[in-house]
Amino acid sequence: MKLLFYYLVFPGFLFASVIGLLTVWLDRKVSARVQWRYGPPWYQGFADIGKLLYKEVIIPEEAFGSGFIAAPLFGLASVTLAITILCVSFFGISEGFIGDIIVVWYLFAIPAIALIYIGSTSGNPLSSVGVSREIKLLLSYDLPMVIVIVIMASKAGTFSIKGIMEWQMVNGSNISNWYGIIAFVVAIFCVQAKLGRVPFDLAEAETELGSGILLELSGGVLAAYELSKAMMLFGLPMFLIILFWGKGIVGGVLMYLLIIVLLVLIKNTNPRVRIDHAMRFFWGWMSGAAVLAAILAHLGV
Amino acid sequence: MNILKKSFKKSIWVFHLSTAACNNCDIEVLELLTPRYDVERFGIKLVGSPRHADALLVCGAVNAHAKPRFLEVYRQTPKPCLVVAFGSCGCSSGIFRDSYSIVGPVDKVLKEEDPDAKIVYIPGCPPKPEAMIEGIIKGLEVI
Amino acid sequence: MSKRENGKVMKDLKKKLKKKIIDIAQPREKRIYIRVEPEKTPEVVEYLFSKYKCKFCTASGIDMREGIEIIYHLAREDKNMVINVKTLVPYSKLEIESIGRRIKAFRWIEREINEMFGVIFKGHPDMRRLILPDSFPKGKYPLRKDFKNSDVTDEDYDYERSGI
Repeated sequence: MKLLFYYLVFPGFLFASVIGLLTVWLDRKVSARVQWRYGPPWYQGFADIGKLLYKEVIIPEEAFGSGFIAAPLFGLASVTLAITILCVSFFGISEGFIGDIIVVWYLFAIPAIALIYIGSTSGNPLSSVGVSREIKLLLSYDLPMVIVIVIMASKAGTFSIKGIMEWQMVNGSNISNWYGIIAFVVAIFCVQAKLGRVPFDLAEAETELGSGILLELSGGVLAAYELSKAMMLFGLPMFLIILFWGKGIVGGVLMYLLIIVLLVLIKNTNPRVRIDHAMRFFWGWMSGAAVLAAILAHLGV
Repeated sequence: MNILKKSFKKSIWVFHLSTAACNNCDIEVLELLTPRYDVERFGIKLVGSPRHADALLVCGAVNAHAKPRFLEVYRQTPKPCLVVAFGSCGCSSGIFRDSYSIVGPVDKVLKEEDPDAKIVYIPGCPPKPEAMIEGIIKGLEVI
Repeated sequence: MSKRENGKVMKDLKKKLKKKIIDIAQPREKRIYIRVEPEKTPEVVEYLFSKYKCKFCTASGIDMREGIEIIYHLAREDKNMVINVKTLVPYSKLEIESIGRRIKAFRWIEREINEMFGVIFKGHPDMRRLILPDSFPKGKYPLRKDFKNSDVTDEDYDYERSGI
């Protein structure tokens, strides 16, 4: 019963969706201000989801009907579960378990797999182009991020979220060391790719592919996808806060705003990259930087 | 249901469709997104697929090439949806009225497919962006 | 270019194309008009295109009362001249041999002249509609002088033929 409350209300579905949609608004507002415009009002995220629930759902003939509707809901459920596991440890509500940071990272990968599934069953050739790009992107940004997680876990000596947070309370946050700064830069780019934002939004390239993978979604199905994206915009910065900052509500809020502002600035100053550029970037530069951070962490800098 | 209907008016996603147009009206649509006439503050966003759209911005006098394709795009848009016929060529066929390959203005073509379609007319050659914003907002009261 | 230089091009063409053309004129400094019979037109145009090293610009058509007059416009940029080859294809026999069979540059413009005027190009490898929609009724040619816009009504369009 208590678990159901954690999953559905706080810090699960309701809490994460509200904060996620407000973060989406913040992103659009800051982007608009950077471009010297006004932006949308604060309730824009909620209005979008409400409007999508009002429209009808069209399932194309060649699509595999039940999978088409089930996949985004599956993604939504797994994102909610990941955020619940993260936040129960962060807010000190209950104890985590060993290895739960790995579980959280791979639960965050499930929406990408749901996206691949939707794209493949859409029955549209433009979607399949988006699918091939998304698969390649998924393989690329996994490597540097796993190296970063392993660095933080090995410094703390344990793979559990609570352990990493407590180690940082004792020994100072990870970001105050040199290896922490390098790892933070690597992690910011990996998070940008995971969220599917410019410069890595190849899979749902709006102008090139007519929205790529999401071409055939409409109505409530699209609402589920947008909601899961908004919740990831809340969950992934929380993940970074746990890895790099540790405990503390005030510091956590400031760090959250800093990460959001960094993500928005990267989005507004860059064009979209090609898939071979992206793969070279993640497997070349970012992996090299992560290995450098590992060496520095080992030396104790 | 009432709150969902209210949120429909606050967030309209448009899809731009050009049937046999001279591209002047298309440039004006692009202007709506620029900082001077910023329509994102009303919640209007330009999307890349008709399945995500709430409003179809149709410009141009409809050609015989474009007619079956335009009707197909209209069928693929989830209802409820608003069709905005803008430009003089969209409302009546403009100066191309008697030409040999123009099949008719937008409403004549659309009434064959769906007699209850909701159409907003925005005249002008090309219409000023202020006129377009006012037209879309007036159209929201119909839905 | 001086008059003497241009006179040179005229004399050259007169000598080479003596038997095949009806007449040749140079009304302005940079323009040459050659009138040819419809049967001899492909020879003259191909000679100008290949051996005389002209560039093909476009072809145009106009409805004279006796038939359709087709003009092929070719250009010689180093001598600053445009050479125009005129033929009058009579309504009694609205056929001309196709140059697009051998030279790719002429294919599309011959398709357009065919669908707009009704001139048949014999031997053309790909005679489809170019700019008119596939659903346009056959047998009606929009650029002829006796075509009225009321000749084609909405019921004449046959959308099955366009394949959508």
